[in-house]
Amino acid sequence: MPLLPTAHFESASTLAVVMSSNEPLLFLSDDLSIIVASASFCRAFQIDPESVPGKRIDELGNGEWSMPRLASLLKATASGSASIDAYEIELKRPNQKTRQLVVNARTLDDGDLDHIRLLLAITDVTEMRAETRLKDDLIRDKAMLLQEVQHRVANSLQIIASVLMQSARRVQSEEVRGHLHNARHRIMSIAELQRQLSTSVGGRVELRAYFTQLCQSLGASMIADPERLSIEVKVDDSTVIADVSISLGLIVTELVINALKHAFADERSGTIVIDYRSSGKDWTLIVSDNGIGMPVGDEAPKAGLGTGIVEALVKNMNGEISLSSAAPGTVVTISHRDTSGLQTDISSAA
Amino acid sequence: MNNGTAVVLIVEDSPIIRMSAVDLVLSAGYEALEAGDADEAIRILESRDDIDLVFTDVQMPGTMDGIKLSHYIRDRWPPVKLIVASGADIVDESMLPGGSRFFSKPYDELTITETMAHLLSNEDPYAVVV
Repeated sequence: MPLLPTAHFESASTLAVVMSSNEPLLFLSDDLSIIVASASFCRAFQIDPESVPGKRIDELGNGEWSMPRLASLLKATASGSASIDAYEIELKRPNQKTRQLVVNARTLDDGDLDHIRLLLAITDVTEMRAETRLKDDLIRDKAMLLQEVQHRVANSLQIIASVLMQSARRVQSEEVRGHLHNARHRIMSIAELQRQLSTSVGGRVELRAYFTQLCQSLGASMIADPERLSIEVKVDDSTVIADVSISLGLIVTELVINALKHAFADERSGTIVIDYRSSGKDWTLIVSDNGIGMPVGDEAPKAGLGTGIVEALVKNMNGEISLSSAAPGTVVTISHRDTSGLQTDISSAA
Repeated sequence: MNNGTAVVLIVEDSPIIRMSAVDLVLSAGYEALEAGDADEAIRILESRDDIDLVFTDVQMPGTMDGIKLSHYIRDRWPPVKLIVASGADIVDESMLPGGSRFFSKPYDELTITETMAHLLSNEDPYAVVV
C-alpha cells in the first residue's frame, strides 16, 4: 500500500469539548483553517455549522471574518512570537449593526509540537459596552442633578438668612434682634454642613473641617475684635454620617454662641476651645472657655432655647451632658458611651 | 461715587435675596442699584459712570452668568470692584478677575459689608492688582 501523507486527527473528546463550549470558540490549525467551531460560535455569529469544516477563518460566512490584522496576530500566536490577550475587533456585516468583540487566542498545549493548533475565544461585548455607556451617562446625570439640588438648597438658605437679617436690622428691641441673629447662626450651621456634604465622600463628614468652618463663620459674625476673643478647634480625624454631624454642628453652634455672649463680659479676653475625640463608637465633645464661669443657684439664668436645643440633641444621640467649672471658665462635656457591646458581653458570660 | 457716597450695583435673579442685599447695602451706608440679570446690569453700567462696586450672583438666566459678567466688567470698566456669590461651591477665586472676591451662599452679611468697605477703601491691596 502506498504511503499516504499522514493526516492528523484530533481526539473525539477534544472536538467535543470545543463543540460544547458555552463561550464562542474556534479551534484552528496553524494555517488558520477551522478544525471545529463551537455550536455557540455558530449561533452567536449566524454561521451554518455544516459550512464550517475545512474552511479558513477568512472564508467563514460571507467573508466578514477576513480581517488582516486578526489573521496576522493569529499567525504570530501560532509561531509563538505573540499572544492575543483581550484584543478588540469590530465585526462588520451588511445590514447588521457592527458588533464589538474581544478575542483571546492560545496555542493548544498538548505536547504535540508538530501540529500547532490554536484556540480562539470570542466574546461579544457590544451590549456590555452599551450598558457601561448608559451607566456612565446616568452617573453624570445624577452628579449634575445633585449639584443642582445643592445649589437650590444654598439659595433657599440664603433667602431665609437674608430675610432674618433684614428683620433684624428693622426691629427696635435688642432682645428680639438677638433671637433673630441666633436663628440665623443655626441656619448658617446647617448651610456649612451642606457645603461639607457636597465635597464629602460617601456621605461622611470630616468633623475637623466642618467645625473649623463653622467656628470661622460664627467668629466672623460674632467676634468684633479677634485679638480679644478666639475660637480654637481641636478635633481628631473622626468622620460621622450626615445626621450625626447635623446634631453635633448645632450643639457646637449653641455652645459657642452661649460662650461668646455670656463668658466674656466687660471686654474680657479669652478663648473658646472645641475638642472632639472618638474611639470606636464612643465619643466626647468638650466645649470649654476661660471666661467668667457660669453663675450658679439663684444667679443662674433661666434656660433658653439654646439649652433646650442642646439637651434634646444630646438625648437623641444617647449622650450625657455635664457642666463643670474650670477656674476660670466653664467646661461643657458631652459624651457617648456605646453600651451595646457591654450587654453582649454579659449575655455571653452568663 | 455719587455725592461722596459709594454706589453698589447688585445683580441677583432671586427677588428676595436681591431685596435683602439692597437693604444690606443701604444699611452699610452706600447707594444701591439693582439688576435681575447680567444684561440689565450692563445696561445700568452703560447708563451711568458712578458705580464703584458690583455684587453679583453666579447662576442667573440670560446671556452671561456672574463669572462671565465679572470678566466683562473688568475688561470694560476696570476700576469697578467685584464681589461674586454663588450657591454652587465650585467657584475658585482664580476663575474670577484679579482682585475680585468670592463668597459661597448663604453668605455672612457682616463679611460682605466688611469686604465692600475694604474694597472701596483706598488701602485695599487688591486695588493695584488690576
